[in-house]
Amino acid sequence: MNPLCKPWEHATSRRQFLGASAGALAFGALGGMISPQAAEAMRKKEKQVLFVWLDGGMSQLESWDPKPNTEFGGPFRTIKTSVPGTHFSELMPQCAKQAHRLCVVRNIATKDNAHSSGVARIQRGDPKNRGVAYPFFGSSIAKLMGPTASKLPPYVWVKPGSGGFKTEDAGFLGPKYGSLAFGDGKPPEDLLRHASLTAEEDEERNELRDLLNKRYTAQRRPTYTEASSFVFDTARELMKRQNIFDTSKLPAKELDRYGRTEIGQHMLVARNMLEAGVRFVKVGSYGWDSHGDNFNASASLVPKFDRAFAAIVEDLAVTGLLENTLVIAMSEFGRTPRINGHVGRDHWPEAWSIAMAGCGLKAGAVVGATNDKGTDVKDKGHDIGAVFHTWFKALGIDSKKVEYDNNGQPLPLAHDEMEAIKEALA
Amino acid sequence: MQLSRLIVPLMRWLLLAALLASAGAFAAEPLHRQVDSLIAAKAKAAKQPLAAPADDAEFLRRAWFDFNGGIPGPDETRKFLADKSPDKRAKLIQHLTTPPRFAEQLAEAFNIQLMERNGDSDEWKRYLTESFRANKPWDQMTREILSPDFKDEKLRGAGYFITRRLDKVGQQDTDYPGLTRDAGRLFMGVDLQCCQCHKHLTVKDYKQVDFNGLFVAFQNTKLQSAGGDYKTAWVQEGPMTNKYEFISVLSSVKGATGPRVPLGVEVPLPDLAKDEIWAVPPDPKARKAGVPKFSPLKELAARLASPENPLFARNIANRVWWQLMGRGLVEPLDLQHSENPASHPELLDLLAKELTEHKFDLQWLVRELALTHAYQRASLLPAGAQSPPEELFTVAKERPLSAEQLARAFLAATGEHERVVGGKNWESIEGKKHTQKDFEKAFHAAFANAAKEPELNVNPTLRAALFLRNNDLVLWSLQRRKGNLMDRVAAQADAGQVADELYLAILSRSPVAEEKAELAKYLTKHAASREKALGHYAWAMLSSMEFFTNH
Repeated sequence: MNPLCKPWEHATSRRQFLGASAGALAFGALGGMISPQAAEAMRKKEKQVLFVWLDGGMSQLESWDPKPNTEFGGPFRTIKTSVPGTHFSELMPQCAKQAHRLCVVRNIATKDNAHSSGVARIQRGDPKNRGVAYPFFGSSIAKLMGPTASKLPPYVWVKPGSGGFKTEDAGFLGPKYGSLAFGDGKPPEDLLRHASLTAEEDEERNELRDLLNKRYTAQRRPTYTEASSFVFDTARELMKRQNIFDTSKLPAKELDRYGRTEIGQHMLVARNMLEAGVRFVKVGSYGWDSHGDNFNASASLVPKFDRAFAAIVEDLAVTGLLENTLVIAMSEFGRTPRINGHVGRDHWPEAWSIAMAGCGLKAGAVVGATNDKGTDVKDKGHDIGAVFHTWFKALGIDSKKVEYDNNGQPLPLAHDEMEAIKEALA
Repeated sequence: MQLSRLIVPLMRWLLLAALLASAGAFAAEPLHRQVDSLIAAKAKAAKQPLAAPADDAEFLRRAWFDFNGGIPGPDETRKFLADKSPDKRAKLIQHLTTPPRFAEQLAEAFNIQLMERNGDSDEWKRYLTESFRANKPWDQMTREILSPDFKDEKLRGAGYFITRRLDKVGQQDTDYPGLTRDAGRLFMGVDLQCCQCHKHLTVKDYKQVDFNGLFVAFQNTKLQSAGGDYKTAWVQEGPMTNKYEFISVLSSVKGATGPRVPLGVEVPLPDLAKDEIWAVPPDPKARKAGVPKFSPLKELAARLASPENPLFARNIANRVWWQLMGRGLVEPLDLQHSENPASHPELLDLLAKELTEHKFDLQWLVRELALTHAYQRASLLPAGAQSPPEELFTVAKERPLSAEQLARAFLAATGEHERVVGGKNWESIEGKKHTQKDFEKAFHAAFANAAKEPELNVNPTLRAALFLRNNDLVLWSLQRRKGNLMDRVAAQADAGQVADELYLAILSRSPVAEEKAELAKYLTKHAASREKALGHYAWAMLSSMEFFTNH
């Protein structure tokens, strides 16, 4: 993302321009802040988020919004769900059983149909351009809500491929609010206690370090030593829970239920992390860009997602965590109703679906609709800015009042001219 | 009435004479003394006590990190501490600020500052090192960087500053605005980002024309890959015959500019007939680049890196000051303008003027600053000072160490430098042979900031904490191995001597009585597994703030 202002994207009100310059000033930024009271109040409820990202674009027609026996409907049938009158694609038998816990919005209408810009644009909530890179939702929650009482890092990303500390999601909030990524579901390098150390030895040498630091800082400014102690403490909390992060120890029975697939295993790791108290867990899945052979691809991919997603929703519901956990499954866009020459579906931001569940949302709801052929939304659709407002509201954050403080200048949390989707909120 | 008519001018004259006399005496003093007078005067006015001078050990470690890039060995520390000569600090500064090592250290610091961890190029680093080795004036280096000669083997490395920033990233547009912003920030201390589309909303001095005057010269270039006469990526400059027009998205007021020094002069465009534009016309068939008669970059660089451009000298004076003191006289470093004065305006004026008169000799400035009391003050707060304002420079500020400095210090402290860097003493050692590259890579991953994120302050991170706690290389260095630190202390029976050895090797100082007693007690407790316990103690010292900051 080019962080510089683009003239055609400029807004016109004076306040918004103040925001733009603020962003620019925030070079090496201090990051945004909300009032400590607000943050404290939010923390007490210990709300959590599960964000499932299906990179490339899941077909709404082969999942949440099937259109059987229509021009663009494709070969799959629909099945009944646990909510009378609501049907999903037959590729989602498990999610169909969880429909009474889900809240599916079928009239999402966004603006970007390219992966390269769309992935970031959607995950940043596509607010008005103020010349700053907005944080992804996970970094935003890490900033606004911080770690839970567990002291575990607030933003963890379970993904295929490389792991480590991913700072790019954080935008103007600064690298501190990036994610701790578990590449291929495995803990980042150096997270597990070194094989040569016992837990007692590790504790003792740490106490020695504390002692040395205490003497060193006695007559110095405390700032940096405090910051250092904080990160060492976080490291300690993470290492204490290494049983959760060690994916080689996942029980076989649960793996079977989530599916012995990449997304199944990652979703199980995610569940363990949510149970351990990680504030925001993002699960990434790649390969959804089915420009060719969409129906075979969907027949392979959708059931894997179906099984894993239904299992985690069920588990969170059974343990009672769902009540305080906002669950989201989505892509950067949907797929074209029109079937192309390669029996594929292309990018389609105009009319697609997002599935959600849990905290603050109406359970068993289907919000909005597309037209008969699925080519457009009925009535007015919802852009991603409205979806962001909905999420914030569901988590108890008033995104119309709370603002980021970007180096002294206020910036709205989400697109300031959009509103939460009322029908989706409980 | 009459009397007062006489007296008032007389008094004025006397005052002026007194001022001139003091100014005259003042000017005869070396720069470092003048610096200290100005700092002391302001501290006095603010009723803030000055911290005591750093003790010899703290000074020694600081000077080593700043001018050598690593830590002194135990023997060097012992020798310096034992030296009784009154001018030993000046001698040490003289010794450490001598190439080649000093030139390499300056090159490293400028590489980090100018590239901000955005890419790595041996050719660029070689250019910096060679330039500092020759003590090339900063204005000349700036011209070579902003208007690179890609055909000259010795100078083409300088072009990396531009070519790296024009590299395409994914499907994004070539980042000419980013290059423009960085050139303004890093060479003049002005962040003009907001002025691409309109005048700056909070900084009166920054106008849209200031951004676009730089932008037009950069946008006139095209990145080319290596090949033919060019061994590195290079940029082709196009001809420029018209001013660049822009419009404010706020006021819709139009403007136009040729290449222009921000907040400074505009380069006049030459009046060339169409057939006179090229010194060497391009030949697309032969894939030969053309050379325009008028080079906007060259003309701009000549005016930007010039004694006539006050912000040029002020920026580099401020950045060198930041490098040695941990905080700029102007903060943020890239927000120099009339409404953001320096903490010590006369001091910045003085540094800029003297540096200009010394023909932008950075090494001279570094040496002068190293001789100041301000640089040589303790990082310990003076008694009674709770939180002295940083901008008064009454106490030495803790500064970040680069990943490079940390890797070097870590290997030196653990006594593994010779093995890992020198490749010696590997006989009879089992396991993987770790190399300097392994360590540099690992420390870089753990401690360097993300690309384009300036490394300005001490920045403890979870990533670094996990690295120190669990990384193989860290713990490998703390295993007893022939000739390393753990070997030396394990062979030492006396706890007091173990303490001496550990503290000198790791923290470059002698332990105080309390620290000796602590270690003795700890070793008694762990007598059964002494060797392992020593490793843990050394680890605690190596992961402490005292080791991990330049204080």
